[in-house]
Amino acid sequence: MERRLRSNAQSNDNQSRARRHRPDYLILLCMGLLMMLGLVVMYAIGPQRAQVLNSAFGSDNYDSSYFFVKQLISLVMAITVFFIVYMTPFSLIRKHAKKLLIIAIFACILLTIGGFIGLGIVQCSLGACRWFDLGPLGSLQPAELLKLGLLLFVAVLLGSRYRTGDVDDRSMTLVPIGVLIIIAAVLVIFFQKDMGTGISILAIVATMLFVVGLDWKIGAMIIAAMLALGVMFILIAPHRLARIEAFVAGDQISTSDPETYHIAQAMIAIGSGGLFGLGIGDSVQATGYLPEAINDSVFAIMGETFGFVGLVIVISLFLTLLVRIIKVSDHLPDMTQRLVVAGVFGWMTAHVVLNIAAMTGVMPLTGITLPLLSFGGTSMVFVAAGLGLVFQLSQYTVSSNELATEGVGYENSRNRRRVRRTRNAYSGRTS
Amino acid sequence: MNTSHKRILTLKIVLFFVMAIFVVRLFYIQIIQHDNYVAQASQEQVKKLVVPAKRGEIYALSDGQPVKLVMNETVFTVFADPSEVTEPDAVAKAVKEIAGGSAVENLSEKIRETNRYQVLAKSVSRQQAQLLKKKNLKGVGFQEIVQRVYPEGKLAGQSLGFVNNEGRGQYGVEGYMDKQLAGKDGILQSVTDVRNVPLTIGENNVRQPAVDGTNIVLTIDRNIQSYTERALSRWARKIGATNGSIIVMDPQNGQVLSMANIPNYNPADYSNVPNASVYNNAVVSAPYEPGSVIKTFTVATGIDRGVINANSTYVNTDSIQVADRTIHNASRGQTGTITMQHALNWSLNTGMVTIGERLGNGSEINLNARKTIYDYLHNKFRLGEKTGIELAGEEQGKIISPDNVQGNAVRYSNMTFGQGMNPTMVQVAAGFSSIVNGGEYYKPTVIAGEIDKDGDFKPKEPPKPTHRTISKSASKQAKQMIHNARAAFYSRVDKPGYDIGGKTGTSETLINGRYTDNQTVGTYLGYGGDSIPRYVIMVQVSASGRYFGGNTEVLPIFTDISNWMIDYKKLQPKGESER
Repeated sequence: MERRLRSNAQSNDNQSRARRHRPDYLILLCMGLLMMLGLVVMYAIGPQRAQVLNSAFGSDNYDSSYFFVKQLISLVMAITVFFIVYMTPFSLIRKHAKKLLIIAIFACILLTIGGFIGLGIVQCSLGACRWFDLGPLGSLQPAELLKLGLLLFVAVLLGSRYRTGDVDDRSMTLVPIGVLIIIAAVLVIFFQKDMGTGISILAIVATMLFVVGLDWKIGAMIIAAMLALGVMFILIAPHRLARIEAFVAGDQISTSDPETYHIAQAMIAIGSGGLFGLGIGDSVQATGYLPEAINDSVFAIMGETFGFVGLVIVISLFLTLLVRIIKVSDHLPDMTQRLVVAGVFGWMTAHVVLNIAAMTGVMPLTGITLPLLSFGGTSMVFVAAGLGLVFQLSQYTVSSNELATEGVGYENSRNRRRVRRTRNAYSGRTS
Repeated sequence: MNTSHKRILTLKIVLFFVMAIFVVRLFYIQIIQHDNYVAQASQEQVKKLVVPAKRGEIYALSDGQPVKLVMNETVFTVFADPSEVTEPDAVAKAVKEIAGGSAVENLSEKIRETNRYQVLAKSVSRQQAQLLKKKNLKGVGFQEIVQRVYPEGKLAGQSLGFVNNEGRGQYGVEGYMDKQLAGKDGILQSVTDVRNVPLTIGENNVRQPAVDGTNIVLTIDRNIQSYTERALSRWARKIGATNGSIIVMDPQNGQVLSMANIPNYNPADYSNVPNASVYNNAVVSAPYEPGSVIKTFTVATGIDRGVINANSTYVNTDSIQVADRTIHNASRGQTGTITMQHALNWSLNTGMVTIGERLGNGSEINLNARKTIYDYLHNKFRLGEKTGIELAGEEQGKIISPDNVQGNAVRYSNMTFGQGMNPTMVQVAAGFSSIVNGGEYYKPTVIAGEIDKDGDFKPKEPPKPTHRTISKSASKQAKQMIHNARAAFYSRVDKPGYDIGGKTGTSETLINGRYTDNQTVGTYLGYGGDSIPRYVIMVQVSASGRYFGGNTEVLPIFTDISNWMIDYKKLQPKGESER
C-alpha cells in the first residue's frame, strides 16, 4: 500500500490534481479586515506616537499622520505583493525555492559582515543589525526573506521525501533540515539577536514536519533537542532570562521594575480598556507608557481602544483566517502544497499566539509582531506574500471525500480521468 | 495523507483551545480585573502638575514713570542624547553657529560621549532656540528655564536682592516681598503622557490656574539711584574710602529715593561674590554710631521741650563734667558765653550736654532728662527700632533705655552728641526728615505701588504721617538752626536761592572696646529744598585705618548730590526771603 501511494503521488509531481476553482475568499476578507483594523489603530494613535517622538527631541520630525501614511504605503505594497504571489504559478515558485533560500542566506551573511565592518546600508540598533537601509525604498529585513525561503525549500524537500517515503530518514531528511535550522538560528538569533523571527522559523519547520507525518518518536526527540537549544539561547542572553523571570513573577509585575515594565504596561492598557474600550484616539498608554505601542504592542493598544469586545473580534478574525488556511492545507492533494500552506499556518500561528500570549501575560515576551496589525513594512509584505501563496493554492483544493479516496490510493476511474484531464490542461503552462 | 489529515485536525483543536484560553484570559483582565487596572492606569497616568506662577517683576521710577529693574526671561538649555544623534558634526556646527558664546567647549567631543544627557549650550535665548529647533537635529533637546534678568545691571542691587536656585527671594525686596512676588502656583491634575505633558483625554482633570506674583514698583528713582551710586564710588575713590552708604529720602512722605552702598554686587551674578556680607544693604542693616549728626536731634528735642532756642546761651569751657567723666569738645577755642546756634555750628559737645542737663534739673542729666531724651530718640524719632521698610535683613540697632543700668548719665551725655548708640542710617534719615518737615514722622518705605494686569501703574495710597515728633514751630526753628549750621561755613558751595541745611559727624570707631582717633566714620546728614525740604541725604564713608572728617571728606559728597538733586527735581529758587 505504501508503494502504491508513493507511485501515485510521484506521478502527479509538479501538478495540481484538482481542477482550478474559486479561491477561498474568506481568507482575503479576514486579511482585509485585519489590515483595515490595523490602519484604524495607526490613525488613532499615530498622533500620540509622533508627539512622543517629537517631544523627546523637542523637534517636529514626525507629522501626526506620519505613521498612518507609512502604514497605508505598507498596505498598498503588501496587497500588491499578495496579488503578485497569487498570480505567480506555484510551479514557478517551487522551482526557484532553492535559489530564494540561497539568496536569503547570502543576504543574512552580508548583513552580519556589513554590521561588523560598518557598511552604510546596514542599519543597527542596540547592537543588533537587522535591516538593510534601501534609502527612499525603505528598509528590508532579510530574516523575513529567509523565513519565506526556508518555508518553500523545506516544503519542497519534505514533499519529495514524502513521495519517496523517506520523511523519517536521518541522512536524507533530518540532517539537511537540521543543518538549515542551525544556519538560520545562528544568523537570526545569534547575530541579529532576533528571537521572534527565530521562533517563527522553528514554528514553520515544526508545523511542516508535524503535518508531513514525521514519526512521533523522532518528533519528541527534536522537541527535546529544541528545548535544550532554546534554554541555551535564553541563558546566553541576559535580557531573555530577565523576560522569563518577569513572566515567572506573574502578578507581581510592576511598572517600576524595568524588566517587567513592558508587560505591566501592556496589561494596564488591556485591563483599563474594559468591555468596550476607551474609544478611538483616547489611548493614553500609547502616549509613551507602553513601549512599541505601534509595533509589537499593538494588540494591547487595541485592547485599550476597543475593549474586550474588540479583542474578541480580533481573535475571531485571526482564528477564522488560521482555520481557513489549515483547511486549505488539509484539502490539498499534493504534499508539497499541503506543506507550504501548513508552513504559512505555522508561521502566522506562531506570531499570533506568541504575541497575544505575551501581551496578556500568559507567556514571556518574545518581541514578535502581530501579523497584519503591527506597524512595519517588511513584516507586512512577507505575511501578504505567504497569504498570497495560500490564496493561490486554495484554488486547487479537493473535497475530503476525493482526498480520502486518493489518499488511500484506490484507483478510481472517475478520479483518474479527471486527474489526467487536469494535467493535460495545465501541462502547457507549467512546463 | 491520513496521518497528515489527523495531524492537521490536532493542530486545529490545539488552535481552538489556545484561542479559547486567550478569550478567557482577556475576560479575566478586561472584565473581572478591570477596576484594578483602571486604578493602576490612573495611578501612573494622572499627574498633579504644578503650574508655576510668574514671579512679579520689580520696577523703579524714572520721573514718576515705572521702569523695569528686574524682569523674567525664558532661556533654554540645549542638550543632546548622543545615542540618538545621527550627525554629530552637523549638530556641533549648528550649535556653535547659533548659540555662539553660550555653547560649551569641546562640543564635538560632548556629542560623542556615552552619557545620555549632554549639555551643549546654556542660557540660549528663545530666538536662538527657535533657530536651532528649525534645523531638526536628531537627538537634540531643549529645556526651558525662567531666570531673573536685570536690565540696569548692578543698579540698586542691594535693595533688590536676588532669587536663588530654589526660586526663593533672598535679601532686599525679593526677600521681604517673596510671597507677593512669587504669587501662587496653580495645580493641574490631568492625564498626562509619559513625559508629563497633559493630555486632553480623560474627564476628571482639575485645573486651578496660577496666580501670578505682584509686579512691584519701588520708590527708588532710577536716576537718583544711578547718580548716587556713581557719586559714591567716584568720591570714595577720591578720598580713599572702602566702605560707604548713601540714602536719599523724600522727607514729605518717607519714600526712599535711593540707597547706595560700596561694596556692592550684581544680583545677576549673586553666586560670585567674594563675601556674602555684600548682600546686605548697609543703609538698613548696619547700625553704627552716627556721631555729631545726632546733635540736630538734641537741638530739636531741646527746642520742642522749650528748654533752649537758637539764641539761648551757655558758658563754654571746652569741657564739661558728667558724673566721674569729663567730656571735651573736638574743636576747641570757642570758649565763653555762646549761643546754642554757635555750639551747633562748631559742633560743640558741651553745648549738647548742656541741653541734656537743661532737660533735667539744669545741672545734671538726671533720670527725668534721660527719660525725655529716650522718649524723643527712641519713641518719637524711632532710633533703635525697626522702621519696617520693605527690605529683608533690616537691623534694629540699639538705643539703651534709662531703665537699663547702662543707661546712665554718662551714656546719655554721650548720646546727646551721637555716641553710645547704634541706629541705622534709614532710622536716622527718617527721624531727621520729621525734624525738617514740620515734625511729622513718616515710616520709611521703598514701595510706590504695583503694575496691574493691564500694565498700568497703580500707586499705593499716599503715605500718612504715623505720629508727631516735635511741634511745627520747633521743627521750623530746628530746621533754621540746621540751615545756619551749614551756612556758617559752607553756604558758598550750595546753589543760591535754595534752602539747604546739614550737619557733619565724625565718629571715632570702637576698636577692641576703645575709641580710636585715627579711624573715624565720616557722616553728613542734611536736607535741601525750595519752600519746603524736598530731600534728605545722609552720607557715610569709612575705611580701615583712615580718618574721615564729616566736614572735610563727606560734606562735598552731600553737596555734589544736593546740587544735582536741585537740577534733577527742577526746583525753583525762592531767594533768601524764605529764611
